[in-house]
This record gives sequence, structure tokens and C-alpha cells, in this order.
Amino acid sequence: MNPHPYPPRHPHHRPGWAPPARPAMEVHRLHWATAPLRSLNIVVVYFVLIGMWLLLDPEDWSRLDPARFLVFLLVTFPVAVVAGVIGVWAWWAVRFWIDGDDLVVDTGMVRSRIRRIPLSRMQGVDVVSPLLGRLLGLAEVRLELAGGSSAEITLRYLGKRRARELRAELVALAAGLPGHTPEAPERPFCRVGFGVLFASLALRIPVLLSFALFVALVVFGIATGELAVLAVAVPILLGLCREVIAPLVMYTRFRSSIAPDGIRLRFGLLESRLQTVPPGRIQALRVVEPWMWRYFGWARVEMTVAGYGGERQSLSSTLLPVGPVEAAFAMVSEVFPGVVVEGVALTPTQSRWRKNDAAGISREVFVSRRGRFRRTWDVVDFARAQSVRLTSSPLQRLLGLGTVQVDVPPGPVQVAAVDWEVARARGLADETVARARPARARSGSLEHWAG
Amino acid sequence: MNEQPQILPPQPYRQRTREEAFAPPEGARWWRISPRHKWYRRVVALVVALLAGPLGAFVVARTGGTPGAVVWSAATVLAFVLAWLVAEQAYQAWGFLERGDDLVITSGVFQRRIVIVPYARMQFVDVTSGPLEQLFGLATVRLHTAAATTDAAIPGLPIAVADQLRDRLAARGDEGAGL
Repeated sequence: MNPHPYPPRHPHHRPGWAPPARPAMEVHRLHWATAPLRSLNIVVVYFVLIGMWLLLDPEDWSRLDPARFLVFLLVTFPVAVVAGVIGVWAWWAVRFWIDGDDLVVDTGMVRSRIRRIPLSRMQGVDVVSPLLGRLLGLAEVRLELAGGSSAEITLRYLGKRRARELRAELVALAAGLPGHTPEAPERPFCRVGFGVLFASLALRIPVLLSFALFVALVVFGIATGELAVLAVAVPILLGLCREVIAPLVMYTRFRSSIAPDGIRLRFGLLESRLQTVPPGRIQALRVVEPWMWRYFGWARVEMTVAGYGGERQSLSSTLLPVGPVEAAFAMVSEVFPGVVVEGVALTPTQSRWRKNDAAGISREVFVSRRGRFRRTWDVVDFARAQSVRLTSSPLQRLLGLGTVQVDVPPGPVQVAAVDWEVARARGLADETVARARPARARSGSLEHWAG
Repeated sequence: MNEQPQILPPQPYRQRTREEAFAPPEGARWWRISPRHKWYRRVVALVVALLAGPLGAFVVARTGGTPGAVVWSAATVLAFVLAWLVAEQAYQAWGFLERGDDLVITSGVFQRRIVIVPYARMQFVDVTSGPLEQLFGLATVRLHTAAATTDAAIPGLPIAVADQLRDRLAARGDEGAGL
């Protein structure tokens, strides 16, 4: 008897029980290499924490004592066996299958621990190959779900081909198509060259300033023979690595392409990623033109996707790390069809101190532009807008001003018309609400965008 | 026939004056919260003043001597009197309106505010009632959307009214998709 209200633990294992004639119910396991990799992981941790100290004499690092070596072997052998068993067990325990519109993942080792993931709530699928995985032809599949910090499923590892097939299958099912639908064709949208990427990361005021400071410190250190400058120079160097080298490695070979099942982003030098954002999942966009980039006509595009919350947000919110402004706005038009951001009539704010800020609405979107040197454009589709707020702080009330904000899920985008003449601000808020209503009706339910 | 829903040209809005900027939508009046809410606020202010006044005065007296304690007590009394007076204004400022597609909430004495939450974007509604609120038979209805910045709460509703409002809102939210 099955005491659980769940489907049987392993639909194929009971004799005389025929699996339903649905090809999607096939139960899958992770790639077998997951087991040795996990065992290796445990052994490495053991060696660093315990094994190394058993093996090496703390008094004399170079000498190898036979008695110590024997103890080391006696301890290490059982640990290796246990690690091997854990690896195989952990690999064997994880099973997943597709049941109707849900992805079902069973991670129970001793008893069933089933997690059902409704694919209609899926916000994105990433296929990630870490450096080691790429050498072995492995990849992991990550599903982003709306809501919560634990709303993420990782299947680690799958064979490279299997991962791609699973990605296509999940996206097709989320779209309301049969799971065996072949992968949708894509058309390349843009690619970012290494030189442009490096230049764009370097040509930022804080980066240039800290680099100048670093050079000055090093020159000063060499000239005077003072080693104390290292105490300042090394943290600056680390900061530069974090701000320039890390994004450079991450976004090298960035390519984006448009497919009917969403926008696909591929990038990464060491760890390669294929990020899929299904249509309708992008809530709002921001086009950023940093001051120095504007001389080259470059811009960056960031997105707000519900569910990409917390620390992972900055990792997954880039839609275009750098590109021509035209490409950035074209990307906005791809995400929100029929929207031309530059074509939206913007009204400047009526405050004396924010002459460069402006906001405006078209039939589909609310656009706000901000900044004199570093310019940002925030765009939200009315169909995706959450609530609309009109506020007037005490200072604003003295000046007869108000702020209209369109709330969007947490992310890089903040859409607001700041410091409008308060009566016009109210008009804008009412107009936004009035336009959001038909926009929501037009977009309908986006759960199954192809269904 | 065209399958697209008809897009009507936007209705021309009567230009509001500055004073009318936070007025209710055309042809409607705000629904008010319970007048007990201001007494609730005053009792909260009293409790805070009774706790913070003597305690703070004691601490200040230990370090700053008697003049400090006197200043602290005066400040507490002043803050209490202000809170007492503002409670009336704050009560007057609260208003809400259930419309066909959205809920409109207004509030704020110093910082004026209007929030418009479409039912279709509502994720859940909850009703809370703290011990002091329960003493007055009041409850707070709060609407949550996918945006963390949405601050749509209506305090000071009689508990029965709050429950009814929650049920109505929940029923309307079910019709929408949520995201």
C-alpha cells in the first residue's frame, strides 16, 4: 500500500503496473557522472579539513612518516567508501518527470520528497555549464519561479544534450504546447565583442578614478620604497577585479537571440550560461546610459523579472551588458511589441531642480527619463504595472508638486514621474490607471502564452 | 469583426486644481474609516508617552541631571499633545473607494498619498488586528501585490466590515491572474 497521497514513488517499479501511455511521464535521472563528482567533492572537503593534517607532520612538512601514512590510509579508506556510497545514493535518489503541466522532482533519499512545479509559474530557465562541467560535457538546469527566495529548482548535473532537450521541453510545456515540440528556431539579435565589453567596463568614472589612484600609489611606492602603500593598493586592485574582471569574465561572448519561446541569452568565458526569459515574464525594463558611454553611443539594458529576487537579481537582470543605444531601444521594442521608447512624448518635470527629468505615457507603456550626465530610461508596460501611487511630501506640497509612481516587482527598474505639478500629476495617475485597464484585457492571461 | 478589444480614446479629464489633486475620483465620495480609529491612535500615543516619558526621564536624569529630565518630560508631553491633535486630522485624511476594477486608498496629513491597486494585480489580502486594535473592535486590511513597494493598507475598520471587505476583495482578485 502506498501511504502517501502522492503518485507512486517510481511509476515503473511495481510489477503489473503499466506506465500510462504518455511519453512525458518517463522518469529521468541525473547524469551518472553526478555520483563520482559528488563523492569527489566530499573527499576533497575531508582531505582539506582532516586528511591533510593526518598525513603531514605539523613539525616538519617535508617528512613523510610511515606510521602517519598508515593512520591516514586507515581513516581515508572508510571515508572514501562512505563518500562513494553517498554520491551514488544521492544520484539515485533524485528523479524527475513531467506530469501534465507540472515538473515533478523527487529528491527523497529514504522516503519520498516530492516537489511539484507548475510550469505555468515558471519565470525562466537557465542552462549553466561550470568550467569542470564543460570539460566533462555536463550542465545544470535551473528553473526560476515567481515568489520566495527558495523558489528555484536546480537539476545538477545533466548531460549537455539532455539539458538542452529538457530546457526546450519545459519552455514548450510552459507555453501550452506538447512537450515533444521541437526547439523553436531563433534569430540572432546582437552580440557583444570583447573589446567593446572591456572598454565599457573600464570607461566608468569610479573605475577610472580608482585605477588612477592605484597607479599613483604604485608609482609613489616604487619611488619612495615605502611598502605601506600596499595596504591601500591591494584592496583597490581587488575592487577593480570585482568591478571589471568579474563582469568581463561573466559576459564574454555575450549573444542574445529572439525565439518564439522567449529571449535567449548566452554568455560566459569560464562558466557558460544559456538563459531563457519566456515572453511576458519581463515586467519592466531600464536603459542606462552612463556619462562616458554616451560619447560612444552605448547603453545597457536591465530587466525586472518577478522571481529573480534577492542576491541573484543582479546576476540575472542584465538583458544587454553593453551595446549601441539603437540596439538597446530595439531590445525594448522586442520585449514590449510595438513600443518605441524614443517616440513616447515626454513631459519635463515642473520642478526647477530636475529640469533633465521627464516622463510620459503612450498607449502601452509608462516611460520616465532621469539624469543629466548618467541618463536612465525606465519603461513599464501598462499590462504589467502593479499599483499606481501619487504622493506629495511636505516640501513638495509647499511647491505644489507631486510624484507619480508605478509599482513593479522588486528589481532594477523604478518608474516614477517625480515633481510634477500636483494637479497634472493626478491627471497622469488617473490616465495611467485608465490605460492599464484595457492593456490588461489585451494581454489576457499570460500563463500559457502560446495556448 | 476586429477581434481586438475596442480602444476608446482617453476621456478628457477635467483639469483639477491644486486643492483637488487628492480629491476622490469624479462623481464619488471617499468611504471613511471608523471614528474610533482616532481614539485608538490617541491611546497608542498615551501608552507610548507613559512608557517613554518616565523611562527616558530616568535615564536622562542619571546622565544629564535634572534639567535634562525636565526637557525630556516636556518633549514627551509636547509630542503626546501633537499626536493627540494630529489623530483627528489623520482620521479625516483616510479614505477608500471600491471601484469596478480597482481599490483607491488615500491618507496622510503631512505626506498626502493616493494608491490605486487593480484587483487583477492583487496576490493576497490579509486582515490584522493587534491587541489594542481589538480593544476598540478595529482591524487593518492590507493588500499585497507582486511589488514590494505597494503600500495599500486600510486601518481602523470595524472587524466585521474588514472581514467583509477582505472577502469581497478576495473574490474579485480570483478573477484576475495575479502577476
